[in-house]
Amino acid sequence: MNLTLEFTLNDRSCRVDAPAHFTVLDLVRDTLALTGTKDGCGEGVCGACTVLLDGRPIRACLVLAARLGGRRLVTIEGIAGGELDPLQEAFARVGAVQCGFCTPGMILSARALLEEEPAPSAEDVREALAGNLCRCTGYVKIVEAVLVVAQGRRG
Amino acid sequence: MRLRAFDLIQPDTVADAVDALARASTGARVMAGGTALVPMIRLGLIRPDPVITLHRVSGLAEIKIEESALRLGAMVTVADLERAPLVRGGWSLLARAAGRVATPAIRNSATLGGNLGYAEAASDIAPALLCLDATIESAGPAGERALPIARFFTGFYETALEPGAIVTGVRVPPVPNGAVGGYVKFCPRSAEDKPLIGVAALVVRDPDSGRCREARIALAGAAPMAIRVGRAEGTLRGEPLSDGAIRAAADAAAGEADPLSDLMGTARYRREMVRVWTRRLLAALRDGDPASSSRATR
Repeated sequence: MNLTLEFTLNDRSCRVDAPAHFTVLDLVRDTLALTGTKDGCGEGVCGACTVLLDGRPIRACLVLAARLGGRRLVTIEGIAGGELDPLQEAFARVGAVQCGFCTPGMILSARALLEEEPAPSAEDVREALAGNLCRCTGYVKIVEAVLVVAQGRRG
Repeated sequence: MRLRAFDLIQPDTVADAVDALARASTGARVMAGGTALVPMIRLGLIRPDPVITLHRVSGLAEIKIEESALRLGAMVTVADLERAPLVRGGWSLLARAAGRVATPAIRNSATLGGNLGYAEAASDIAPALLCLDATIESAGPAGERALPIARFFTGFYETALEPGAIVTGVRVPPVPNGAVGGYVKFCPRSAEDKPLIGVAALVVRDPDSGRCREARIALAGAAPMAIRVGRAEGTLRGEPLSDGAIRAAADAAAGEADPLSDLMGTARYRREMVRVWTRRLLAALRDGDPASSSRATR
């Protein structure tokens, strides 16, 4: 069974057909060839598939693509429109990226946190990123990168 | 990994959803947020076809007050429960428990109705609603039904929902004046985990004598389903919240627990943790320490 989906993707209108059993992850990676969003665990635990739906982080591997109709989806490819988002720049500069697999999900979760809480504590950051697992860095630099961006915004 | 193919039905009303469920083959499943169902499909534990989603059903995501009670639609997300000013203001125990569910991304998809229908014993929401004496509303082939939550969970991942029925909402009566509540979630492995055990409590004390007028205590992960522990509650009624009374209540709660052993922990360990965390939660509520009563530390 196929569906026709109309939604906003990275600030552009998108109209695409997909099987009814496709998740947002299937659609993003396989139909739309946006491979920045990763398939980590398939269970919604690791956070590598995190995307923003109407500004809020969700697990692309758990949400059916059918849910996208009329809504606003942002993937890692879409957060900065061609330049580097301050979070991307800070992650790179501070050393918060090793293999990079968790990074897109981390950045989108961090982005959603900063939209809602511009002055998070380190504990707030760890809470917000609790659903994004990293096997390389040990999280210290990741938390630091998010705090650097938050502090930078406060000027 | 791709899900096994299924047809999708996206009804616009509760009646259409119930109708679709009635007409579908026995393989149909209703999907709310999908956070429990999709992993099960991916693992091959279930092979639903068709899947009937509820996200287009109007009126299922309301949060409002009706005659002093809080009415929540089944499709209210756990994140909405955590954030909604109405819930935080009048039913803060529920908001705080909702805020302990999994992680932000899961909370943005997981729903109240799905959490209840899935009927996992290790639910953070269920013990809070048990303490709040909520009523579960459902709609099925025989019409609408309302069931006190204490009668809703009937066994291991089992509810009293009749075949072909769906949870449509929850009604939560006002909290007694002067009640203090808290939820502690014990996660020995990691912060985003299910609770090994969870304890929710609501206590009303006489303002003059300090004696306990009413105590409601509920447990997650300590029995085949989430439960109230009536004997523990009974030990507190009329008593001051002394260390001794609290210990007695915690011991009673541990006795009422009927936990199983799994990879997260043995039954014996779970029972001991019920004792420990019930005691700590009650002490925190007595001492007015909100930090201890809402967050479990390793």
